[in-house]
Amino acid sequence: MSTAYAVGDTFTETTGPVDRADFVKYAGASGDFNRIHYDEPFVTDAGYDSVFGQGMFTAGVASGLVREVFGLHALAEFDTRFVAQVWPGDTLTTTVEIEAIDEGDDERRIEASVTVVNQDDEPVITGNAVAVQ
Amino acid sequence: MPSRPLAELQAQVGDTHRTATDLAIERGKVAEFARAIHDPADIYLDETAAKEAGYETIPAPPTFTRTAEFPRYVPDDEGFDLGFDPARVIHGEQAYEYERPLYVGDTLTGDTTLTDVYQRDGEGGGTMTFAVLETAFTDESGELVLTATGTSIETGQAISEGDE
Repeated sequence: MSTAYAVGDTFTETTGPVDRADFVKYAGASGDFNRIHYDEPFVTDAGYDSVFGQGMFTAGVASGLVREVFGLHALAEFDTRFVAQVWPGDTLTTTVEIEAIDEGDDERRIEASVTVVNQDDEPVITGNAVAVQ
Repeated sequence: MPSRPLAELQAQVGDTHRTATDLAIERGKVAEFARAIHDPADIYLDETAAKEAGYETIPAPPTFTRTAEFPRYVPDDEGFDLGFDPARVIHGEQAYEYERPLYVGDTLTGDTTLTDVYQRDGEGGGTMTFAVLETAFTDESGELVLTATGTSIETGQAISEGDE
C-alpha cells in the first residue's frame, strides 16, 4: 500500500454493544476457554460482578481498524495493554491516530496510537501500531 | 496470596519450551476467527478478494496465533508450570512483531521463553504476580513469521473496579 498519511490523521470505528454471545464466540474461535468469560456462577463465586470479555477479544476488535488503516503487509508491530474490563452491554470505539512518520532512505515508518474506549469514554485498551511501507 | 513462591517462578526465567506444534492455518478457522472479532473482511473469507488486495492467499488476522492454545496444537510435555489460578488470572498486555503476513496454508511451530517474572502490590487486588512470555512462531522452513509477547497477571483476589 502506498497510502499517504499525515501526523494527526485519526480513524475510528464503533463496535457493539457486545454481549455474552460475543465472548462465547471468541472463546470458540480462539481456544481461550477460561470460565471467567462465560460462566456466571464461576465468576460470581470468584468475586466478580459478571463475566467479562477476553482482552484478546477486544484486541481483535481493535485489529480490524488497524488492518483497515495499514493493511497486513505494512503492519510491523501491534501492542495492546488491557487497562479495564469489557462487560456485557459495552459499546467499544477504536481510534487509530497517526503519531509519527519517519522517512527513511527506502522505507517509511509510521507510528500510531491505538485506543479502545467504552460508552463512558473510559479506555479499556491503550496500545500502539507500527507500519513500515 | 500468590499460588507459588516467587523464587520458584523466577527459577524458570530464561527457559524455553515448545508450546505449539503443527499449528496449521486453516481457512475455516480464519473465517470463524475473523467473524468472532467483528472483522469479517473479504480478504479473510475469499481467496480472490485476498489476491486482488495484494495478498498471496487468504491472510490471518493479526491476533490469530491466539489459537495456539487449542489442545490439538499443544505438545504433551507442555511448557511452563506457573501454577496460576485461572479464576485470578488476567491478561495484562499483548504485543506482536510481524515479519510477514500469516497465510492460510502456513504451518507454524511456537517456542516460548519466560522472559520475566515479578510481583507488585495491586491497589485493589492484593499481591499481583506478572509473567512475561515471548513466543517465536516459525514456519515450515524455519523462518520467523511473528513474535507474540504476552503478560499474564495472577491477582491476589478478583479485581474490583471502583473499590480502590
